[in-house]
Amino acid sequence: MPEKKGCLGCSFPIVIGVFIVLLVLLVVGFVIGPLGQSMLGIELPSWLSALSVDRPDPHLPAATVFHIFGFPITNSIIGAWITIIFLVGFSYVVTRRMKLIPGRLQAAFEFLIGWLYDLCCSVAGEANGRRFFPVVATIFLFVAFNAWLALLPGFGSIIAHTADGETELIRAANTDINMPLALALVSFIFVEFFGLRTLGVRYLGKFLNFGEFFRGARQLFTGKLKSGLSRLFTGAMTIFTGLLEGLSEFIRIVSLTFRLFGNMTAGEILLLVAAFLIPWLFAIPFYGLELLIGFIQAIIFGGLTLIFLTLAVESHGEEAP
Amino acid sequence: MGGLESLGINMPTLLAQVINVAILFGLLYLVAYRPIMRMLDERSRKIKESMENTELIKQHAERAEGEAAKRIEAAGKEGEEVVARAMRTGEEVKKEAQQQSKQEAETLIARAQAEIRRERDEAIGELRKEFADLTVTAAGKVIDRTLDKKAHRQIIDKVLEEASTLKKG
Repeated sequence: MPEKKGCLGCSFPIVIGVFIVLLVLLVVGFVIGPLGQSMLGIELPSWLSALSVDRPDPHLPAATVFHIFGFPITNSIIGAWITIIFLVGFSYVVTRRMKLIPGRLQAAFEFLIGWLYDLCCSVAGEANGRRFFPVVATIFLFVAFNAWLALLPGFGSIIAHTADGETELIRAANTDINMPLALALVSFIFVEFFGLRTLGVRYLGKFLNFGEFFRGARQLFTGKLKSGLSRLFTGAMTIFTGLLEGLSEFIRIVSLTFRLFGNMTAGEILLLVAAFLIPWLFAIPFYGLELLIGFIQAIIFGGLTLIFLTLAVESHGEEAP
Repeated sequence: MGGLESLGINMPTLLAQVINVAILFGLLYLVAYRPIMRMLDERSRKIKESMENTELIKQHAERAEGEAAKRIEAAGKEGEEVVARAMRTGEEVKKEAQQQSKQEAETLIARAQAEIRRERDEAIGELRKEFADLTVTAAGKVIDRTLDKKAHRQIIDKVLEEASTLKKG
């Protein structure tokens, strides 16, 4: 085999040529961008200044693109639909003809699903892991692929003309707070559902724990003043911690929602600002960062849901009366 | 609600997204989780089965090997026995043949000895008769008269008989 010369599989002249082109793009981007303009103040020909990126105008509420039977369809809903179509379509293509000895695509998809399944089993145990796995996997896949698909051209760059004026046709669903909130609600519903289904009424005892308090009161009436008072005190504490426990269930919704929403929105704004300040090449590293952040947020959302689910089905042995 | 509005929370969109997540959950369950879990389970079952089969085949092979070794050992023993028996038989045959030939030789010798004795006796008888005749003739010549041949003969025979008994005695 002849020894390969060059770098990255290309000969040196090509590598150097590509490098020069990239450098030129970076420099020209810097010069025509607002950062370079304010620092250098060079007069640009009109055709070149037309290439600069418009000032980003991020707004938190998602814009309504059209209505179906009076129901407003926002651009983030369209983004969610695209993610759903992609995920379901991809899964369908892969699993349509499953083979016992998998091809490459099937092996890759099976690896992803198997990895999520193993994660669920390692946290929640074999039996519970199998029950929780679809919930956790759906949340993970949606958050991750929604974040990654939003990096493709078309998201945020196709302008639709609506009755309310110009707006983006597609927007990453996670940057509209309704989507993280919807995911958090779904997570909350499944947590309560599995908790109630596994432990029954005992699950509610975690939040409404009056037993100790009433036992203390009974002892007080039967004359055991000292132990009755101490039980009354610990009983009041248990009621309070139970209420706190209940409150934390709802705080989880808020924290899950705003963690995802904040990270995704900040990521989008970061990309817009990077592309605005120095157009073209400068934003590429941030795209890599956003790929990573999408994955991390997905694993955090899915993992926290998994942990909440596991905690919900764990039975806290009732203290001895 | 002004703060929530400015964040973008609104009921219809929230509802739509919850429904979207539910739909995604259902569809992914149908086209991804169920078939893939089934496939993974099937595969692990197959692997388990083939591992068990391997174990079984190994045991079979071990047992067969042991049996073969046992059989080879038995065959070897049997072969040795056959060889020993053959050698014993050969020995016996040899001995028998030797004995038979010895016996035959002895018979032959005995027969030859008997023949020899008989021939000797015959020759002696012949000789005796010749001698008597010769003696009678000679004596007749000496006394020149013919002796009563018959009487003489009796006398000679008697003498010879005495002589042979003397000799023997």
